[in-house]
Amino acid sequence: MATVTNWIDHLSAAEVQGAIYPGVGTEGILVIVLVVIWIGWHVMTDASESKELSSLARKRHSANDHKSNITDW
Amino acid sequence: MTDQLGALTTVFTEFYYWITVVLMFLIHVGFCMYEVGASRYKHHQHTLMKNTMLIPLVTVTWFLFGWWIYWAFPTGPGLAPSIMNESAALITDDSLFSAKWYLPNSDLMAVNLGDHISGVFWAAFLLFSWTAASIVSGAVIERITTFAFGICAIAIGSVFWSIDAAWGWHFDGWMLKILGYHDAYASGVIHAVAGGFALGILMVLGPRIGKFSSSGEPRNIGPRNPWLVTIGLFLIYTGFWGFYAACNIPIFDLGPEYGMEGVTYFTATNIYVTPTTLGGITMNFLMSLSGGLLAGYVIAKGDPFWTYSSGLAGIICASAGNDLYHPIQSLIIAMIGVVIAYKLHYWVERKFKIDDAVGAVAVHGYAGVAGLIICGFVLNGYPSSGYSVGSMWVGTDYAPINPLGMFIGAIIMFGVLGLIPGWIIAKVLHGMGKLRIPREVEIAGLDYNLLEAARDDEKAVSSSTR
Repeated sequence: MATVTNWIDHLSAAEVQGAIYPGVGTEGILVIVLVVIWIGWHVMTDASESKELSSLARKRHSANDHKSNITDW
Repeated sequence: MTDQLGALTTVFTEFYYWITVVLMFLIHVGFCMYEVGASRYKHHQHTLMKNTMLIPLVTVTWFLFGWWIYWAFPTGPGLAPSIMNESAALITDDSLFSAKWYLPNSDLMAVNLGDHISGVFWAAFLLFSWTAASIVSGAVIERITTFAFGICAIAIGSVFWSIDAAWGWHFDGWMLKILGYHDAYASGVIHAVAGGFALGILMVLGPRIGKFSSSGEPRNIGPRNPWLVTIGLFLIYTGFWGFYAACNIPIFDLGPEYGMEGVTYFTATNIYVTPTTLGGITMNFLMSLSGGLLAGYVIAKGDPFWTYSSGLAGIICASAGNDLYHPIQSLIIAMIGVVIAYKLHYWVERKFKIDDAVGAVAVHGYAGVAGLIICGFVLNGYPSSGYSVGSMWVGTDYAPINPLGMFIGAIIMFGVLGLIPGWIIAKVLHGMGKLRIPREVEIAGLDYNLLEAARDDEKAVSSSTR
């Protein structure tokens, strides 16, 4: 994975390679992973939010019921 | 970086933008505090998390496509040719400022010894994106779902503001060339577009339960924690300093840039690469803040919430031309903007039953639009660019700043790229049943389950200490 194993050799090359992160050339795969994480987050949180909202809605609390849950400072 | 002067300039510029990013982070801290302070206790934690989660969502999408849009869209596409490649197509060729280098799989979108600057530019613009999304966040508190807000935040933060920045902020933007658009510190590019987008969502989302009486009279749901609102707005002011600095290029030799043979002229420039001074904009920032506070205190009869918000609205109104205004002009423009924003807020609230919980549409949208229009008159005739100045509508050179162009620019920012997309996206989310939380949850409070769990935890702790 290491793109650079010797800084002296790297910086004294005729043309210094700019990208120095591990796995140069795998950027496309990393982008796909990021897209999956991004979309997956929406899917998961939407499902859990919908579930939470519908269960809370069924309880039909009044506007002031939450006050009985306020904890001490 | 093989010569000392070049290296010093590069590293200084890299560090300069890095500092602006750190300062601008305070804008988001301020928005979070402000929103929580404005919301009711039973919604506090969800309100906070909604605004917080826009940070990763906008960041990820800004990395994936937002930054690319900014560099690809200055020509429209199809509206005015680029000064770099003389094509009106998307800028995706091999030229120096092409969007090609900012695709998410580009090796320049990472640690790269060949490019020290792009990453900090990317971050500075990203912080602008967070601000755009956060402006929307305040308006819709206590009734939008986190899912819907996430989609809206991505749309304004990584798509529509990025397009408007490409059109009206990029040195190659078609709005500069055809309209003579000038918006140095983003009255329109950030604030009007985000205010318009928020209004579009609010039109579909509807008011909070109880905001309007059965006869349609608005009721005040004031900030529940005015001290948090106060600190939040002071932090937004503080972060705004970073924003102003981030909109400048700190050191630039305009002689060779403009093609002036044998001329060397180092200066700070605005984002359009035309000269200004950090000293001048600092004076204007403080004078427009002062103008906003003075006018706000009078018109709101000393109401702290509106007075603080008016300080912000004042800066926003003067921002379009604060690179060139005299400080007293800046103060007067700020005062005018505050009066317009305040009056319009209450008129729209009564007339259209729009519940803008924190006055975001007024402070950012109306003040931003007023600032653009005023700028067109006060800076009428100034070049919108240093590269070449021609006449309006041609599009092959740059139109000078003028009232008509700025008025059209304001409509594009607030309406075309703000209100209309916001309304359409909200309509789609509403059609999917994803936009608004259930009525019963809004009444009970979004945090009901969290509060109940905290009470149970406390009971358990109490029983163990008996």
